[in-house]
Amino acid sequence: MIQFNNLSFGYSSKKLLYKDLTLTIEGGSIYGLLGKNGAGKSTLLKNMVGTLFPIDGEIIINGKIPGKRQPSFLKTIYYIPEDVFVPALTIKQYKNLFAPFYPEFNEENFYRYLKELDVSADGKLNKLSFGQQKKFVIAFALACNTKVLLMDEPTNGLDIPSKTQFRKLIASIMYDDRIIFISTHQVRDLENMIDNIIIVDNGDLLLHSSIENIGNKLCFKTTSELPANARVLYKEQMLKGATVVIENINQEDSKLNLEHLFTGVTENPALTKEIFSAN
Amino acid sequence: MNDIFEFKRFGLLFKKTIFERYLQLTGLTCLAFAATLVIYSVILFFTGGMARNLAQNLSFGYGIIGGGCFLSSVIFGYFSTNASGAAYLTLPVSAFEKWFCGMLIIGVLFPALFLAFYRVMDSCFVIFYHNGLNKNDPRYKDMYDAVQVYPFNNNFVRESVMIYINFVSVMMLGSLYFNKVSAIKTALVYGSILGLLYFLNLIIANLLFHNVDGAFPFSGVFIKVGNDVGILGLPDSIANLVQLAIQIIIPSLLFITVFIRLREKEI
Repeated sequence: MIQFNNLSFGYSSKKLLYKDLTLTIEGGSIYGLLGKNGAGKSTLLKNMVGTLFPIDGEIIINGKIPGKRQPSFLKTIYYIPEDVFVPALTIKQYKNLFAPFYPEFNEENFYRYLKELDVSADGKLNKLSFGQQKKFVIAFALACNTKVLLMDEPTNGLDIPSKTQFRKLIASIMYDDRIIFISTHQVRDLENMIDNIIIVDNGDLLLHSSIENIGNKLCFKTTSELPANARVLYKEQMLKGATVVIENINQEDSKLNLEHLFTGVTENPALTKEIFSAN
Repeated sequence: MNDIFEFKRFGLLFKKTIFERYLQLTGLTCLAFAATLVIYSVILFFTGGMARNLAQNLSFGYGIIGGGCFLSSVIFGYFSTNASGAAYLTLPVSAFEKWFCGMLIIGVLFPALFLAFYRVMDSCFVIFYHNGLNKNDPRYKDMYDAVQVYPFNNNFVRESVMIYINFVSVMMLGSLYFNKVSAIKTALVYGSILGLLYFLNLIIANLLFHNVDGAFPFSGVFIKVGNDVGILGLPDSIANLVQLAIQIIIPSLLFITVFIRLREKEI
């Protein structure tokens, strides 16, 4: 479990990016952290892994404080930054040097993930393309079997088949008390993969909800006529009518459209809070 | 699990540190060895082999201090990019182990390798010189005795080691403050501080004494007396204290600061 208790963070103490953020993240879920460029997604992840320290408040991950950067904590968490780093080593050398730090590392799975992501390198890893390097790091991170996996824009630099393969892999490695946290501004990459959504903007937590709850609260559809009294979170005029995200007052079943949800939430944060705070 | 130090984990870190940047570390070490050899050879060449002690002293001093400075500026040089910095900071080892690993490489491994290299290189030069002497020359014994393998316990070596410890501690600290081209930035800042200290000290000395020729901080004031220059040194008790500060207290504080900075480093 991850707890944010009144977390405040800013690169300057006068201008806080997050102020009194309180949030609880349960195990066994894949979280999508969505936000525009510069919304503070990477900053939040860095606070979670302990490479940035909160100005006030605290984060507790499975009983540990990330900022202390204790080995007993770090071996249970893996963080993939947006730009990955691989040294001038072969795959085997990298595995031999880095895997022993992660007691749950599974070598068999590692090579399977590499195969599934189509990463093959006989030479040094730093000679690979950015996308190949990223896939290598993702395969290694997944094979480490850490309880918490944080990924910052993992699909950046991945080609379309790799994105599909990535989604399949993420779904296959999920287990009960594991938390996977994926930050991205490319919301479509997360569709059908995540079961919880967090949307942040300018350090504000605009939405924290499960996909199931979003389905209960909101309705995504294309219509020529809007229901009376329905509050509209998002509306886009199309040829066949208007694509809308509206309050689900009739308890309709609809297919979640992450892009529309994201735009609606960031454009109407107050209305979002009203809809989601209503019982 | 011990979150401060574990032998097994430290061993893994040490192995990873060496092999991950094998080329960089060995390259810099070899460069230091090469520079030492070049300095030694060039001085012998230009003095016709007459200034062997000078060649030994300068090659030793520049080799160990120069090599140590560059090596210490890269030992924590993971922070030039966010990605490599994050990979280093999130590696499951303690800040103490990372610090100790750097200290071991800079404080033990490099000096040991340098001393071994230097002994072999110097011995070769000395043996070459001894073999080149004419045994029938009446001055043979004097000439033979005049050139010996460089002793590692003379004053110049002690001074060099003192400078080495101070410089590498500054370089290590600088690499944790400056993420890019840390060696140059640290050298500029350190040089500026030393320069400022010197000139401040000189100004104060000029206020207190006439005919000041020079005044090094915590050392002595050089005063012109006619055509000669006299040294007004510190009293023995204070001089000992200053020596203690330069040799032990300041580098210790710097090394402790390196540890604290490494523990608090954000990226």
